[in-house]
Amino acid sequence: MLHIKCPHCGLRSQNEFTYGGDATVKRPELNKEISDQEWDNFVYLRKSPRGNHLELWQHISGCRQWIKVERDTLTHEIFKTFKANEEV
Amino acid sequence: MTSISALNYTHKLGLFGNHENKNEQNLLKVSEIKNLLIVQLVKYKNSSVSIENIDIDNLKLKNEPQSVISNKDTRILWNGPYNWFLISIKKDLLKVIYEVFKNTEFAITDLSHSRAIIELEGNDVKEVLKKGCPYNFNIFNKNNCINSTFNGIAFTADMIDVDPYKVRMFSLRSFGESFYHSITDSSLEFGYKAI
Repeated sequence: MLHIKCPHCGLRSQNEFTYGGDATVKRPELNKEISDQEWDNFVYLRKSPRGNHLELWQHISGCRQWIKVERDTLTHEIFKTFKANEEV
Repeated sequence: MTSISALNYTHKLGLFGNHENKNEQNLLKVSEIKNLLIVQLVKYKNSSVSIENIDIDNLKLKNEPQSVISNKDTRILWNGPYNWFLISIKKDLLKVIYEVFKNTEFAITDLSHSRAIIELEGNDVKEVLKKGCPYNFNIFNKNNCINSTFNGIAFTADMIDVDPYKVRMFSLRSFGESFYHSITDSSLEFGYKAI
């Protein structure tokens, strides 16, 4: 079991969190003309890195906030956590 | 209309579990708490109002994780950033809440009938909680509150007292019966008195 340090509540069990995907994906700018390919990339295309990965998690059974987690996909070590609006 | 409490058909009074040859005074006590006012207060993200200036039942809101501010009637539990649960035995406090908290600045939701409330009292309270909840209860002190899960059921725990331990737990009303069975099953090992 992982322990994730919620930036709001402190160290909590992974059981209280849900995974929310890659945190590095940027939504295309609003009202900007984009190609189908760009939209397809935004919706479906994900890297699957072996090592350091920035992820979104939600503390669903705690404060219900979305947070960013920097985690190693190989060792599951968690390096740092951030509030959702914090720049990494 | 008659109001029926969440655990009306579930909570049976008596002695259960490993209670024999034990002093009844020292047994774990399980009770259902009814008729509380429960209001969720959430400050809007775009609100610029300062919470330090807000006074409700002589209590000031505090945006401090896991903290509870209280007086003898009312407890305000931190539920998340700028998000609180106000629990009170004063039902008429709702009117004051609507006056004090402007609906342009706060989302106010009356949750009084949507929660099942169980109170555990006794020296073994933390041991019971540890059985189903991954939180480190060794650091759970008086006037602390947490949101977590107990055997997969989301709940809020509020430590009211520590001598002996007295914890009030809130779950969604529809999960109340499962939650109650989960708590009482964990309590059987110690023996408990349902009051």
